[in-house]
Amino acid sequence: MSNQSPTVAERLWQELAAPAPQHDRDQGLAIEGHSLVKHFGEIKAVNGIDLRVRPGQVFGFLGQNGSGKTTTVRMLTTLLRPTAGNARVAGFDVLAQDRQVRRAIGVALQEAGLDILQTGRELLRLQSRLYNVPRGQIEDRVAHLLDVVDLTEDADRRIGGYSGGMQRRLDLASALVHSPSIIFLDEPTTGLDPVSRQNLWEYIQRLNREDGVTFFLTTQYLEEADQLCDEIAILDAGEIVQQGTPDQLKATVSADVIYVQVEGDERAQLRAVSALLPLPNVEDANWDFSEGIAVYSKSGHDTLPRVVRTLDEEGLPFSNLRLSRATLDDVFFKATGHRIEPGDPSGQTAGQTAGQSTGQQTQGGPA
Amino acid sequence: MSTAQAPTELPSSASQDAGPLRILTDARYLAMRAIRESLRQPGVEITNIFIPLFFLAVSTGAIANFSERGFGVENYLAFQLPVAVLQAVAGSSSASGIAIVLDMERGYFDKLLLTPASRWSLIIGRVWADAVRAIFFASIMLIAALVAGSGMATGVGGAILILIIAGLFGGAYSGIGIFIAMRTGNAQAAQAGFLLFFPLLFMAPAFAPLAVFDDWLRIIATINPVTYIMEGMRGLVMEGYAWPITEGGQIVFGEDGLPKTKDPPALHWAFVSLAGFSVFTLTIASLALRARTRAD
Repeated sequence: MSNQSPTVAERLWQELAAPAPQHDRDQGLAIEGHSLVKHFGEIKAVNGIDLRVRPGQVFGFLGQNGSGKTTTVRMLTTLLRPTAGNARVAGFDVLAQDRQVRRAIGVALQEAGLDILQTGRELLRLQSRLYNVPRGQIEDRVAHLLDVVDLTEDADRRIGGYSGGMQRRLDLASALVHSPSIIFLDEPTTGLDPVSRQNLWEYIQRLNREDGVTFFLTTQYLEEADQLCDEIAILDAGEIVQQGTPDQLKATVSADVIYVQVEGDERAQLRAVSALLPLPNVEDANWDFSEGIAVYSKSGHDTLPRVVRTLDEEGLPFSNLRLSRATLDDVFFKATGHRIEPGDPSGQTAGQTAGQSTGQQTQGGPA
Repeated sequence: MSTAQAPTELPSSASQDAGPLRILTDARYLAMRAIRESLRQPGVEITNIFIPLFFLAVSTGAIANFSERGFGVENYLAFQLPVAVLQAVAGSSSASGIAIVLDMERGYFDKLLLTPASRWSLIIGRVWADAVRAIFFASIMLIAALVAGSGMATGVGGAILILIIAGLFGGAYSGIGIFIAMRTGNAQAAQAGFLLFFPLLFMAPAFAPLAVFDDWLRIIATINPVTYIMEGMRGLVMEGYAWPITEGGQIVFGEDGLPKTKDPPALHWAFVSLAGFSVFTLTIASLALRARTRAD
């Protein structure tokens, strides 16, 4: 197959078709969004998002289920029409030049979209053909991608017999058949075992470093965002509430965090927070139902004994006192007022599933 | 995952724009995938063979003995053959709607929408596959009826024409399944695409000639495209080619502006009806696809 010369139809087509405009990585942004809004009826899934992703960046969208991550990805990848605002991907308008956008990007959505009756090889072959990969290169390309995602041995088995992890890997490979310059990954490692997750991270980093591929990925995993992303936007209720590099974000919270569980009702918690806030070096303190009280301090070692003393003086019994360095989790908590809790990949919230399939777009909710 | 070398950029031809030729090329790939899908689910397809053959056998067994006395049809098996063909074709073409809904549910439809392939190639690919499948199922009906002794007044040429009509009807009927799938995204609704065929079938001269129908049913049957498609095939099986009447080497036209034939309704009406039916079903399917992919 790899040695076949182009057919008459292909030669004719190559003569007729104008070369596709290429995305110039030196000029302009890889992804830009202006006041992007998506409403599903009364539900405001995305509520005025501005985006600027430079070529070669790994940009992460960090947020919980229902925060608007998937809806934003679906708008940027031409699957959903924004209610308001506009976006350009690879220099092309997502509404007016949707086909050019699709040619420039690779997408692996949250749910692996596969045809269970095809074999892995057949699926990648069909994807390659639909992306107009030159016929002579298809077999080599498919074999290479199967090797990359470790599916060579299972390539000729039907996808219906693949495990969840294998299906995700194949789905990712199918997004790469045309060597896109921008890749969207919607929660790429949800459902993957730790080894597969680590391998995928390495592959993303290698594609980014060696080929300059731009990544736009959504995740609920703080560690993933911290490890992979050059820039992170924290999304909450359809809005970006904090954005920057991981270090910049961590710098927005104090160097140290002291966690303490205070016994008693809500009034006791508020009393404790009020007593701890005026302590020297303390920049912020708040209470979360599950985590207890978090005290953000410029110098945890100095603050820790003061916290103990203050709570004793207030007559508030406490336990589980610990000191830690600030993490993205603290950034997220400070920005959104709640802790991120990665959902069970098989048990999504109702809001998240709405609007994911094109079949539900007009009735769906935030994702 | 292995640590294989990262892929390099493909030549620019890997991302050429779409055009009419590209749409047809993509449609062919998608049609091949749809046909492969059928070959891998033989159990599903057997229904499309068994049900029409069963109806052919029992209706012929029940009515053949008095069809000549009752309404002047001597060879009732031949009379029923087009019904079996249409039923098999409608059954197989309805499956497209269900297949599309399954693609949607599995997220594969989105994957196809994310490729640069034209949206139209998604429809054309399905229609193309259904036309091929229709010819296959019609062949089985033809062979079964011929083996059972239906005869074929127009010989091999007529049989080929019947297969062409079946293919066109299959392609046209898949538009209904696609329309339902696009509008509802619901497998049960898509399944009902086949049920829509029964009113079309029973309000056509499926079991008795139009001449014995009550007036109200005859009126409905005369505006039913399936009547003409069925009668066109029936003429090929039972009577012969309905050539246009000529006088002095000139084709004679009737008051309706169409060529007069020696025994209307004739074959050309079958093709006219097929064209109208196709335009209708494929237009609603295209509009439904457009509405869905606009995704407002």
